[in-house]
Amino acid sequence: MLDIQNLNVVFGTGRLRVDAVKDVSFTVKRGEAYGLVGESGSGKSTVLRAICGLAPITGGRVLVDGRQVTTPRDKTFYRTVQMVFQDPYASLHPRHTVDRTLSEPLAIHGEKDAEARILQALKEVGLGPSFRFRYPHQLSGGQRQRIAIARALILRPKVLLLDEPTSALDASVQAEILNLLDDLRRKMELTYILVSHDLAVVAHLCERLLVMRHGEAVEETTAEALRSGKASNEYTQSLIQASQGFTRKPSQATAIAG
Amino acid sequence: MMKPLLEVEDLRVRFHLRTGTIEAVRGVSFQLGRERLGIVGESGSGKSQTGRAILGLTPPPGEVTAKRLAFDGIDLQTASKRTLREMRGGRISMVMQDPKYSLNPVMTIGEQIIEAYQAHAKTGRAEARDKALAMLEAVKMRDPQRVFSLYPHEVSGGMGQRAMIAMMLVTDPDLLIADEPTSALDVTVSMEVLRILDELVSERGMGLIFISHDLKLVSSFCDRVLVMYAGRVVEELEAKNLREAKHPYTQGLMRCLPTLANDVHPLPTLNRDPSWAL
Repeated sequence: MLDIQNLNVVFGTGRLRVDAVKDVSFTVKRGEAYGLVGESGSGKSTVLRAICGLAPITGGRVLVDGRQVTTPRDKTFYRTVQMVFQDPYASLHPRHTVDRTLSEPLAIHGEKDAEARILQALKEVGLGPSFRFRYPHQLSGGQRQRIAIARALILRPKVLLLDEPTSALDASVQAEILNLLDDLRRKMELTYILVSHDLAVVAHLCERLLVMRHGEAVEETTAEALRSGKASNEYTQSLIQASQGFTRKPSQATAIAG
Repeated sequence: MMKPLLEVEDLRVRFHLRTGTIEAVRGVSFQLGRERLGIVGESGSGKSQTGRAILGLTPPPGEVTAKRLAFDGIDLQTASKRTLREMRGGRISMVMQDPKYSLNPVMTIGEQIIEAYQAHAKTGRAEARDKALAMLEAVKMRDPQRVFSLYPHEVSGGMGQRAMIAMMLVTDPDLLIADEPTSALDVTVSMEVLRILDELVSERGMGLIFISHDLKLVSSFCDRVLVMYAGRVVEELEAKNLREAKHPYTQGLMRCLPTLANDVHPLPTLNRDPSWAL
């Protein structure tokens, strides 16, 4: 479905040159969920942005459904690939109602039957028709993220790019959104690329994942291997350890206990 | 146990708005010794307002009332402005969430630490400078001299947060309130910052109030945890006994986190019982 080969993204020139992504390659099969993990500045979000045309592709190739993407991306591309952003407080237009937010992609692509599609999209993300004429400030964080997902799904894309979709949300709301994403993938046979700094979230949703650091791919591994602690790379190990919570050094722990 | 460092009884924070009165904190009581206390809750649970109310930093039009709010025997409600000023930053200090917004962007990090120190200690500049450098070293800055003369935008998030911890600890406070000190940082960096905070707190025998939304983190870092929901403390427990939490809210919060160890599909979600908020 998605084939990324030797992707390079460079911002700026000369002294200000930043190699944000260096030679990253991976493929994602149809219906698969693929994770990108790393710290901030590791280039994981930039990979997503490069795929959907928000960051320049300096080198390498991005193939969607076997065809190389064009710059600028055409309408067919956006019918296949859509993105959900990190912060639902920032990614929805504050002065547009839910109805207007959802009808915009339909209008751009000349889709008919907008009303039915909007109601359908709201239903899919677990919100009722009563949400249709609300403004973002009348919604909670979780509801906003549901709207952002509905907006991405309304054109029936095949690939969803998820950029930290739950990191701005509370833990209990995160569980709801993760369940929703899981359900939608099964029902609509979607392909996901999920970017997150939280290993547990990635391992929950994805089968395979790529660990990134300083713009480079460190290791490609599976969620299964992470769970059984079989990650070979030292950096991946340190991420796993950090995700388990704070640990005191043994000497200190005894000092406190005693 | 010794006399408690901080006593809070029936703390309430109200905001009188055009649309009515909102009670953000509704009767929180706890005592703190020289220990690490965690306050956990989701957004809107009143955990940050609790921390702010102790320092008297509730933004207007907020109103704080309490049956008792005392630090080391001094009643914070009746204390003079002058006493409060000496207390804040001197004996009680607070580390905020995001170093990007809470450091002064037009002052070097060193100057800011010196300012914080000189506000509470009558010393010469040279001594303050030495103290600031020593503090930067204590928070494990690799090159204190260089960091001293940098502006906040020139350092990374983790360094900024360490600089803030340095600034807050330079006056040797008895109580440190840390409001989501690591939420804006990466996991590995936040572990490093926590380790530094942990060392300094146990070395100096300070009391610490650690406010966070991350139950897992708090329970691994603190001795005791207060779980807040809708402005109230619904449960208080020893951090190591978190697994035996009784309140359904705490249990729900624990369960809804995806973990690496076991793979549950779908994740159990939290069914909020309206009676929890009563």
